[in-house]
Amino acid sequence: MRTTRRSFLRLVGAGAAAATVRLDAPPAFAQAGHPVKLGVLTIRAGIAAPVGAAGLRGTEWWLERVNRAGGILGRPVQLVVEEESNPKDTVERYRKLVLQDKVEAVLGGISTGVTLALGPVAEDLGTPWLSWDGTTQKGVEETMPNPRWAFKSVDNEVEAIVAGMLTARHFKGIKTVAGIGNDYSYGHDCWQAYQAVLKRYTPDVKFVLELFPKLGVTDFTSHLAAIQQSRADLLMCSFWSGDATIILKQAAAVDLFKTMKGAFTTAGGVHDSLKKNFTPEGLLLGYNTMYFDDPKGSALLKQFVREYKAKYAEYPPYECDHAYFCAESYKAAVEKAAAGSTKWPEKATVVRALEGIEVESLSGRRSWREDHVHMCNFYQGITTHKNPYDFVTIDPVEVVSTKVAMKPAGTKLFDWINSWKI
Amino acid sequence: MSGRLVLALALGATVLAPLVAPTYHVLLMLPFMAYAVALLGLNLLFGYTGLVSFGHALFLGVGAYTGAFLTSVFKVRSMEVILVAAAALGALVAAPVGALCVRYVKIYFGMLTLAFGMVFYTFVLKFYRLTGGDEGMPFLRPTLLGRSIEGLPKTDYLAGPYYYYSLAVLVLATLVMWRIVHSPFGLCLKTIRDNPTKAETLGIGVARYRWCAFVISAVYAAVGGALLGPPTGNVDPTLAYWTQSGNIVFMTLLGGFASFFGPVLGAFVFIYLQDWVMSVVPFWRLIFGAILAAIVIAAPGGLAGLWVRRPSVEASSS
Repeated sequence: MRTTRRSFLRLVGAGAAAATVRLDAPPAFAQAGHPVKLGVLTIRAGIAAPVGAAGLRGTEWWLERVNRAGGILGRPVQLVVEEESNPKDTVERYRKLVLQDKVEAVLGGISTGVTLALGPVAEDLGTPWLSWDGTTQKGVEETMPNPRWAFKSVDNEVEAIVAGMLTARHFKGIKTVAGIGNDYSYGHDCWQAYQAVLKRYTPDVKFVLELFPKLGVTDFTSHLAAIQQSRADLLMCSFWSGDATIILKQAAAVDLFKTMKGAFTTAGGVHDSLKKNFTPEGLLLGYNTMYFDDPKGSALLKQFVREYKAKYAEYPPYECDHAYFCAESYKAAVEKAAAGSTKWPEKATVVRALEGIEVESLSGRRSWREDHVHMCNFYQGITTHKNPYDFVTIDPVEVVSTKVAMKPAGTKLFDWINSWKI
Repeated sequence: MSGRLVLALALGATVLAPLVAPTYHVLLMLPFMAYAVALLGLNLLFGYTGLVSFGHALFLGVGAYTGAFLTSVFKVRSMEVILVAAAALGALVAAPVGALCVRYVKIYFGMLTLAFGMVFYTFVLKFYRLTGGDEGMPFLRPTLLGRSIEGLPKTDYLAGPYYYYSLAVLVLATLVMWRIVHSPFGLCLKTIRDNPTKAETLGIGVARYRWCAFVISAVYAAVGGALLGPPTGNVDPTLAYWTQSGNIVFMTLLGGFASFFGPVLGAFVFIYLQDWVMSVVPFWRLIFGAILAAIVIAAPGGLAGLWVRRPSVEASSS
């Protein structure tokens, strides 16, 4: 038989593919049938692209571990990744994953503006959807209280609630507060929730200024001038992306935090860019649901941080934990639904198994509440320079559970806050 | 192959698609048909009147938000009422905007339309309590021809009744636009495009005709916007953002603004090419942009221009 260029290339390609197969893979993997396909929706462009990248990296780390250990019920897992962008296009990508790629479940979703549209589509298509960071809240109120297929992230305003509680604990004597957040629902909702909580602990506190610059703004000169002029005792800031780093740099240039305290509810999302030379000690800093340097962190967290740093030359932010939890809880639910059998369970059985399930995630034990909302811990603390890094960390580390900082299912946020006995 | 035969085959394939094509591809036809309606209108302004609008997402947004308000606030579910209301509101908004814009041409017209588009975008983004801000508003499932079809799963509803409803609206919009561009009014618009001074000399009210074309194109865009709402089920400000305006201008260029059906072809190729490239590479914007740029460079008259040019080449060679 004559060897043509094309057949030669085909042979080389097949050889290369065969060379990548692990010979020490466990027997279950080797005998497995078709791979189980999981869809992943993640942001890949724009200001939230680093958040999306962290979620995908967390999922890929989980994937490697699971496949090395034989997959789920002996089936290797394969990811089909699509982009989260605007609601219209993301709904189309979601439909593609379910209808065209025939995935068993969809993981991901970060922006609530998008996931509000995804929720009803997930319910219609009858495939489990486990959201990393997106909710189906309109403002601070739930729009899908009894979903069947949609599993949603922790309420958006929880980190502001935790920050309100910790402001009262760590910054006693605060009389006036200024607030700055991005000009979209998250920024406004966090500010409202923070004020409501702080008011409960410190009834005579006054909120003297609120600023809502557009998401993506990089010049805060005029905002900082207004904040200085307000002479507030404390600045609350809910920035979560590179703008947190930028405002801290510009604040350092005008010595803002020499006369003012600061509570950065979510800046831990970009924690390793908060360098010591412009981020002072003594700020309240929130890391959302995972603190990479948690002294009480599990062996799993330490291994993840080590390998993440080795692979990407940076330390992991919280989105990795949301993503890991979603994937791991799906695996646990499939195994629970199979009840010892190797037969792949129906999707409806898997979603029933997901309800209330608890697994070990990177940040510790996490679970799904019965109404399909993440239950987890939030990590915040006071910034310190006493660490081996060139950026700030926190000490003490305050851990607050969603059992105390998230409104219970079926309640209205502000009614719930106002019902607290303090 | 004659144009009529191609058109008949395309229409036949579109009618048969829900019966033979995978559901996902059938659902992708919905934004195609919505954009196609909007592009027929845009091309009356662009291809036939010579005015390039960079703000037509405003009217897509007006149509989509009209549907969202009617279904979720006023509990009006009739798609016919939604389409009529969208068209009326589109015309109402376009009347003053057009009156100001058509006094200018070329880049000044383009920039003014862009400015009005961004004013509307900012309005829907900032008036949170009214429009839902960045979270948008739900566009609940509308009834079609008085039938609620509530029992049908949403996917079946979209791939069945709603698909044929959208197709009927597209066919109707095409017939009406065909009549418009082949009427004396359409001829006047082409005269204005080619030589506004001569048109003025001939007694054609240039500003008035341009304004009429602007309002008609806005009505088409608003109807297209209303059709875009139900498949997503939620309407948000990104529908009215300037990138949407850019996309629809690009679809027109891609298909060819010199041809009546060029923009429709452009919408089809844009949507399916984007879908394919998005699934193949993570950095799809780079690849997609390069492919589109290559198509436009290789075919300045758009994809329809390639097909239309062939007979004249054959004629000259013979």
